[in-house]
Amino acid sequence: MKFRVYRYDPESGQKPHMQDYDIETFRGMMLRDALKAIKAQDETFAFRHSCGEGVCGSDGVNVNGTNKLACVTPIADLKEPVEVRPFPGRPVIRDLVVDMTQFYEQYKAIEPWLKRKEPTPEQEILQSPADRDKLDGLYECIMCGCCSTFCPSFWWNPEKFLGPQALLSAWRFLADSRDQAKDERLDFLEGPYKLFRCHSIMNCVEVCPKGLNPTKAIGHIKELMLKKAV
Amino acid sequence: MSRQASGFRAWVYQRITAVLLLLFFVYLLSTLSFAPPADFVAWVEWLSQPLVRIGLLIFVGALLLHSWVGVRDAIIDYVHPLGLRITALTLLALWLIGTGLWVLTILG
Repeated sequence: MKFRVYRYDPESGQKPHMQDYDIETFRGMMLRDALKAIKAQDETFAFRHSCGEGVCGSDGVNVNGTNKLACVTPIADLKEPVEVRPFPGRPVIRDLVVDMTQFYEQYKAIEPWLKRKEPTPEQEILQSPADRDKLDGLYECIMCGCCSTFCPSFWWNPEKFLGPQALLSAWRFLADSRDQAKDERLDFLEGPYKLFRCHSIMNCVEVCPKGLNPTKAIGHIKELMLKKAV
Repeated sequence: MSRQASGFRAWVYQRITAVLLLLFFVYLLSTLSFAPPADFVAWVEWLSQPLVRIGLLIFVGALLLHSWVGVRDAIIDYVHPLGLRITALTLLALWLIGTGLWVLTILG
């Protein structure tokens, strides 16, 4: 099977280029296996990967124009030659390895932990099954970055717009019955950039390998702002 | 709860004006397709009805506000150098205000 892979080594002084590889395939082969086969052919090739089963979120890449998690992408579904590039809009460190610093900074900015006004109890803070259900579709995010790096608003303003991943996480804490900092969280999201750069383009929903829906979460945040305002 | 005009309120204005624009567009399209004013005198007569006048004023106000939020969004997305952005936003504001005043002189 034919692959065209983005190659860039800043130390070589060469410009980025696409390199062709021919790979022996096997039944059930995932894109990550193909990248490993390329690595076996050419050890100068660099990409990130770890768990191999869609849990760690390390091997997000751009395949034939769409962001995908390599380890859960069967190559049988891909059109030849398979074009593999690094995430769009991110500074390339080498080959498919990109600098995700801004992405993590945005996640950090939403303060992704439970905040309590009341003193923390000795035991766990209990939650009704209905309240727990509100976190479904939110807590599953593995932070692979497929969504944020496929979002045009994030391409345009990565330093100011939080991006779909951080906004999904922001809603995950706003929706949590145990969190007691809703007003601060909403105040933080105010302004034209952090939340309101989202124009519901929905690329995030299209590419999320876990089938999550950041656009819907963003809609919930806006709804909550509206409820608090009236 | 303090929400500034720049983010949340701009979004709310955009949504509300969108509904107003839709309602008036439906009225305008149906009037102009089923009972269009035949000549200049009929146009003046149509426009002199108080309800049409008020509706039109609200429509133009909503249109200007909606344009401000929408084009401002596009400028924030694409125009990054600060000087250029301020120039673009100022030109947009002047153009929208000018359009509003022009409509007022026509209807006034």
